[in-house]
This record gives sequence, C-alpha cells and structure tokens, in this order.
Amino acid sequence: MKVYVTGYGVISSIGVGEKESLRALKDGVSGIKRGSNNTTKDYNVGAIELTDNELIEKFELNTHGSRTALLGMIAVKQAFRGHQINEKIRTGLISGTSVGGMDISEVEYKKYLENDGHDPSRYKHHSSGATTREIAAEIGVTDFINTISTACSSAANAIMMGARMIRNGMIDRIIVGGTDALTSFTISGFRSLMILDEDWCRPFDETRKGLNLGEGAGYLVLESDRSLAVSGKEPVAELSGWSNASDAFHQTASSPEGHGAKISMMEALKVAGIAPSDIDYINAHGTATPNNDLSESQAIKSIFKDSIPPFSSTKSYTGHTLAASGGIEAVFAILALRNGLLYPNLNFENAIKETGLVPQTKFEDSLNIKHVLSNSFGFGGNNSSIILSAI
Amino acid sequence: MRLLGSCKISENGVFVNNNLEEYYSACQTDWKRELYTKLDFEYPKFHKMDPLAKMAFLSFKLLEPKVDLGSLEDDSIGMLFANSSSSHTTDEKFKKSYYEKSPSPSLFVYTLPNILTGELAILNKWYGENIFFIQENFNPEFYLEQINFYFSKGLNICLCGWVESGPKGEECFLFVVENKDGDVTHDELYKCYKQKK
Amino acid sequence: MSDLKEKLKAQIIKQLNLEDMNPEDIKDDAPLFGDGLGLDSIDALEFIVLLEQHYDIKIADPSEGKEVFQSVNSLAAYIEKNS
Repeated sequence: MKVYVTGYGVISSIGVGEKESLRALKDGVSGIKRGSNNTTKDYNVGAIELTDNELIEKFELNTHGSRTALLGMIAVKQAFRGHQINEKIRTGLISGTSVGGMDISEVEYKKYLENDGHDPSRYKHHSSGATTREIAAEIGVTDFINTISTACSSAANAIMMGARMIRNGMIDRIIVGGTDALTSFTISGFRSLMILDEDWCRPFDETRKGLNLGEGAGYLVLESDRSLAVSGKEPVAELSGWSNASDAFHQTASSPEGHGAKISMMEALKVAGIAPSDIDYINAHGTATPNNDLSESQAIKSIFKDSIPPFSSTKSYTGHTLAASGGIEAVFAILALRNGLLYPNLNFENAIKETGLVPQTKFEDSLNIKHVLSNSFGFGGNNSSIILSAI
Repeated sequence: MRLLGSCKISENGVFVNNNLEEYYSACQTDWKRELYTKLDFEYPKFHKMDPLAKMAFLSFKLLEPKVDLGSLEDDSIGMLFANSSSSHTTDEKFKKSYYEKSPSPSLFVYTLPNILTGELAILNKWYGENIFFIQENFNPEFYLEQINFYFSKGLNICLCGWVESGPKGEECFLFVVENKDGDVTHDELYKCYKQKK
Repeated sequence: MSDLKEKLKAQIIKQLNLEDMNPEDIKDDAPLFGDGLGLDSIDALEFIVLLEQHYDIKIADPSEGKEVFQSVNSLAAYIEKNS
C-alpha cells in the first residue's frame, strides 16, 4: 500500500511556508545571523525573528503553549490546510521534539533562582508530551497522539512511524514531523560540547568547525488510499522509503566509517524498492561538525561509490533545527520533487581531504527530480533516512 | 510473539523473569550502585551514565543470562523504549550546571532519553532499529502494536523498556519478545510491570 | 608541584565521576586516555571545564587538549605554565 503526502508545512529562519522558503533557497539567502535576544546574542543562529506573542497574533493561534509548541502549531496548520477533521477518517499526530517546553521552564527556573516572581503553573507546558498535546488541540486531532524524542532524528522517526501505521491500516491520515525552539539549554549544551561554529557553518567543507543552531518546525500529512477516497485530496508526493539503524559507537559522535548511516540509507532504498542510482538528490544531515560530515560522506561513498548523486546540506540556510530538522528537510525534499530543484550547499569552498566529495553548489531548477533521500542522524547513534518520490 | 523474559527494577526491589522466580533486595539511596557491584561485570562507563541509562544497563545485564541473544545477527535486534518524563533528572542537573557554574558536557550528553538505547547498542554492538517515545504511562498494548512493525520488517528480537526517572520516582521495566509462536498479552506484560516487593 | 598533582587527581575523580577510584590509583605519568583510565572525548571536554573553573585557563580548541591531557604530569605542567 502506498503512503501519500497530501500536505506539508514549514517554518524556519528562512521563512514561513512554501513561497518564502523557496525564495530564500533560490536566492541563496541564509537565515543564520548573530542572535538578537539575551539567549542568542553571542551566537550565530537560525532564529525566527518573531516573539511568542507575535507568533500567536500573526498566525491566529488559539492554543497557547511553549515556543516549541507554537512553531509546531504554525507548521501543522499549514500542512493541514484544506483538510478537515472527519469522523470517517481516523487522524493522528506524531510529533518529535528534543526541547519541548524547556523555553518556558528555563525562564521560570531562572526567576525561581533569582527570587523574581516565578510562576510554577507555567511548568505544565514543559514536557515533550504537553508540546504535542498543545499542537493536537490547535487543530482538533484526537484519534491518536504520540511523541518521539530521539534527538535530531525525531521528526524523521515520526515520519517513519506514521508511514508504518498507515501501511498497516492502523490509521488513515497522520500528521508527522517535528519542532524545536532555540533555548539557553541547547545553546549551553552544544557550547559545552565545543561543536558550535562561531561564524557561519560550512557543511562538508574541509575547514568546517561546527554547527549553528536553529529553530523551526516541519510537518507532513500522510494518507492512505482509503483516506484519499474520503478526503478527496491530491497527493503531492509519495513517501516511498524509510529506515532507522543504530550506529553503536558513541553517545554523541558518529563512527568514522558511518556504519549506522550506511545501514539506514541502504534499508530506506530497500523499502522504496529502488537502486542507489535512482536517487536524484540527497538532502544530507550535514551539520558541519568535523565528525558528522566526514562520517556521513564515508557512508554516502560506500553506497553510491563512483556515482554520487547531487547532495547538499540545507543547514547552512536554516541552522541545525534539532528534532525539527527531519521534518523541515522533508518539506524541502518535496519542494525539490515538485519543482525539479537542487539546493546549493551554501558556504562551501574546499572538499574534505579524506573523501574529496563536492556537494551541489548552485541552485538549479526545471530538472527531473524523481527520488530524494533525506538523512537525519541523532545523538545516541540514532540514524534515520527517508525517501520521498514524485507522483 | 513470544515473551522471552522480563526484569523490573526500582528502589522497591528487583524482579527477574515474569514468574517472580527470584528477587534481590535493594532498598537504599544508592541502590543502582549496589546492584552494579553485585553484577560481576566490570563496565567503568556505567558510573558516567545518567539514571535512565544506568537502570537500562542493569536490567539488561540481569535479564541477559536468562535470555539467549548470543546467536543473533547484530542488526536483527530492535529496541523500543518509552517514558513520561524524558530526561527530566539530568535536565535539572544540567540546568543547574550552566546557571551556577558552567555547562557540563558529560551531563548534556544525557539530556536526551534515547541515549540509553545508544548505550545498549554500544555495549552489545547492535545496529538494529531503535526508538524512544514519550507517553503518559506504560501502555503494553502500544508496545505490542509497534513490535509487530519490527517483526514484519524482519527483526527477530525486540528489547523493550519503560525507564523512568523523574518527579514520580525511578523504575525500569525491561522485556524481550521474540518473533516466534506465542501469545504474550498486554495483561501479562502489565502484571510483570506492576510487580512490587 | 606535587600538591597540585594530588589536588588535580581529586578534582579529576570528582569532575569525571570516576566512582571506584582514589587519588592513589592514578599514577602521575599514567596515560589518562585510551588504554589508561579509558577516558573518552566527552571526558576531555570536562577537563576543559575543569581548567576553566578551577584554574581560570581557557582552551578554545578541543584538539589542543590532546597534548595537555596526556597525563597528570602534563596537565600539572600546563597549569604551572599558564597560571
């Protein structure tokens, strides 16, 4: 049974929705810049330049929640546009997040330490589960709600889980993806791991120093044939492949040969029933850390050998949006399929010496893009790959 | 599917196997450390783990002798875990570290609940699928549904767990299911989970 | 210098959660990483935090740490040099 995509929604530092995102992708305009608030001012980040209240007002949100939840609501509402909650279609939501409502909790905790009028009732927004429930409440999904927390592969795993549930007839229509907001928590954490770049990140470049953090949300609506017959929606793409594998090497670093990455890509190809040569574009995980980009390159080389398809990381556009990245990049993959696009890997100059791989450096359109592979590799050696295919 | 074994540990006690065949008493503040010393398996990395990874490691090592996993391919074992508080205990410690002194990398590493599956994969060199869900309570029905996905993909064994460390206390319930004839029910799993001293 | 080394050993044990160890278990010239104490890349980062917190020394590039953190001897020498 095929799994169809009938909606997609995205919000990131390069824009809200399809039009803004495409314009930035085409013009090579990155959303990464020096942060403008107390949390982000010392770092280059891919921040969304709207406060929580501005998000609520601009996007007419009814349910209040953490910033992570608000970003999720915006992207989910976009994805679900034209759909309706209908008792004939069992509809679910699977959302990935690593931060949850930490943006609220860390502010309240600081107030508590400083004896500055902290409000314990706000902690109700803290949990990852609360984030998903708040998003579900905004659009009225009640049949099935679940939360995944596997770091940077969370959204990709949500997409994979949704596909399986559809294929097994457990649900008819499911909204899948992820969301994460920028927080002092994650900035401090990545700073302590010394994998942030003080300048603009350089994915797959020999001189890359680390990542820039970002925030955002990306979701897809998946439907079965049965659901399409009732909803009457036109599929925009097919979710044809998915996979997850363990790297079994280190809590936060990837194995030098990219063993887990290789397995996840190969398995996704197997599920899709296509050969490596059928892939027209790889949207890489490409965080720009010395470790990931080498590891992922080795894995790509071992599968695609002398016929490496065009590949790029869009994280030099959006920053690394953590749990949201798999969702945001799935939307970019669909836009690539629908418009025949290849995205440039911004800020690239010199290939990694060990691999010599050169990513796509120009924006191209009007191409025949039929299959896109998207990688999302999370801490804990949690490696996921999905394949989206043209209708 | 067949239930090969289960293990429940908490500060209330330790139960190995679904028939409550034996138990260890471990009622003290550093019960995890005490359990580790009884294991007769040296793994210095244990001391650096957070409570979630420690409990998953301990339960696994207690269950391992009762369940034969040795002959399986290293990518034929899947892992399915969940809890309700995510990495709450370590999140609080990490927040404290960056507000009071400077952010601790060894704490930050564990501010994701799925690092525990990473630790099990590293320990055993397993390359199979793994996932971590956040749910309100242990829901055996959900696990059994998800396990079916793993088995239909071709995995032989699923190591599942509910590992919680947060405001509601600490507990770890681990169970192993095999893709063979058998009738494990969610009632049976729930009974094993609810065992108390 | 030997006071510094003893202090360092206690700080290392605390910072890195080396639970079953006492300062006497760490020899001055024993390799701290790899086959020695079996410390890894995350522990190396904790060393960087330790240097900053206790000795006010900042290491900006983690790869700089490789030479410095080889043993208690090299660590003590680095601290003496940069204090």
